[in-house]
Amino acid sequence: MAGPDPAIPSRTLPRDEGSPVTAPYLQAQGVEVAFGGLRALRDCSFTVDKGKITCLVGPNGAGKTTIFNVITGFLRPNDGHVSFQGRSLDGLRPQAIVAAGIARSFQNLRLFVDLSALDNVMVALPSQAGEEPVGALFRPLHVARAQRAQRERAREALAHVGLADKAGEYVRNLSYGEQKLLTIARLLATGAELLLLDEPASGLSAGALDGIMALLRRLQQEGKTLLVVEHNTRVVQQIADDVLFLHQGHLMAQGTPETIIADPALAEIYFGGAL
Amino acid sequence: MDFLYSYIILAEVYVLLGLSTNLLVGIAGIFSVSQAAVFGVGAYLVAHFLMTETLGFIPALVVAAAACIALNIVVTLPSLRVSGDYFVVTSFGIQLLATAVFTNWTNATGGANGLPGIPPPDLFGLPLESTGQLVILCSVAMAIGGLAFWLLMRAPFGRLLRAIREDELAVAAAGKNVLRAKVSAAALAGAFAGSAGGFYATFLSFVDPSSFDLDASILLLTMVVVGGARTLAGSILGPFLLLALPQVLTLVEIPTSIAAAMRQLIYGVLLILFMLFRPQGLAGEKL
Repeated sequence: MAGPDPAIPSRTLPRDEGSPVTAPYLQAQGVEVAFGGLRALRDCSFTVDKGKITCLVGPNGAGKTTIFNVITGFLRPNDGHVSFQGRSLDGLRPQAIVAAGIARSFQNLRLFVDLSALDNVMVALPSQAGEEPVGALFRPLHVARAQRAQRERAREALAHVGLADKAGEYVRNLSYGEQKLLTIARLLATGAELLLLDEPASGLSAGALDGIMALLRRLQQEGKTLLVVEHNTRVVQQIADDVLFLHQGHLMAQGTPETIIADPALAEIYFGGAL
Repeated sequence: MDFLYSYIILAEVYVLLGLSTNLLVGIAGIFSVSQAAVFGVGAYLVAHFLMTETLGFIPALVVAAAACIALNIVVTLPSLRVSGDYFVVTSFGIQLLATAVFTNWTNATGGANGLPGIPPPDLFGLPLESTGQLVILCSVAMAIGGLAFWLLMRAPFGRLLRAIREDELAVAAAGKNVLRAKVSAAALAGAFAGSAGGFYATFLSFVDPSSFDLDASILLLTMVVVGGARTLAGSILGPFLLLALPQVLTLVEIPTSIAAAMRQLIYGVLLILFMLFRPQGLAGEKL
């Protein structure tokens, strides 16, 4: 996909100079969100390229999670548009957006703690037989057969993130690092190709951090596109192809991690002048 | 022997109600205290059809179940917008409203005096008059209900409801239609409670509002808690145990005037003790 040279930070926003036939993979245009008097997002516009790992950075309260909520249909923006592969996502419910190929994780994980790791993943498998009562009641054998295949798929998703041996474990018995991996397995189960990860690396030990970074890169190699909220600049430097710098609900800059981190004006905002 | 049969029939009717309550409250986490109201509507409807001889027992049961499916969806609708504790208050109001209707719509319900002389159930015109036949009928109904509950719980539908109880937002983020699953749970609970009403009315041949009031709703919750939430075994165990209690009390020499109050007291104490010390009930999972 032809885009502008990523080495040049684009202080100004939309990249509509790309090929006229291919719409941007993910595009936000002029998104406005206000909570009462607080403008959480103001004229927020950016694009995400297919196949890249894009990190969304910015100080606390910059609107990073809010933009996730807008993209995934949990929050209706007061104004502006989001489109995915040229298709407008405006007004779609969360489940329709997952079906379109976008799934998100939560900063506070939101796992089903009373379910096993395997069941957590199985909930997210798309269109299962017996997911509504009529099928469950009147086609029990078909459902049981389909479940065996689904269970295999869920096990594969668990194996993919390195939790193959934890399938039967309840979430409350998993370590925090394992719980974070489980949220990614649950995302993979949806079959979405664009994954929105809210701080996948926060609160992890150094070892677990390396593991999750390797996992994110592997997902990228397998063809997933990742949009990641991340605070840790080391993680951003190591995994990001592209960085979106958000400040007070507005996209301040977009570019490679090197150019973003080297920009003294952005460092001033991000670290409050400490650097 | 008839005494034992009566106990079994009543317990089996309450098992159907327990399944209904367990599905809605235990599995889906929709904390309704108006299940007895739905039960009552089923009972009055079947009573009406049989007394006016407009329908046979099975068609009457089907119509009552269908009506209760619709009713329970409407009654549960607030839970789709109002969550948790607030819904308890809403459904409490619905229960009070239903009791008021049962008591005051005298033409249809007989008011506080109730409806006496409800004919016994029939199977396609063949009346089932002996208690033995009724035991078989209710046992079959309970078996069908239990099988349905088991099939629902082992299917992805059951897992989806459990996940919704824990975190609706996460279920939506997993791409699932939360609204449709909750409406389905309400519909199923309505079908169970409505048909339980039909069996109850025809077995007792008499219904009055006191069987379908708030006390009855709370008794149902107590059965589910004591038996064990979210499990088939719990839904069966609870009603059989709690309905045995009044029989045990009859063995103790207490005046009949205080027996009813005594029973309520014991139910209340049991509910509190189980919630405190064994929230998973005898055969269930933590509520």
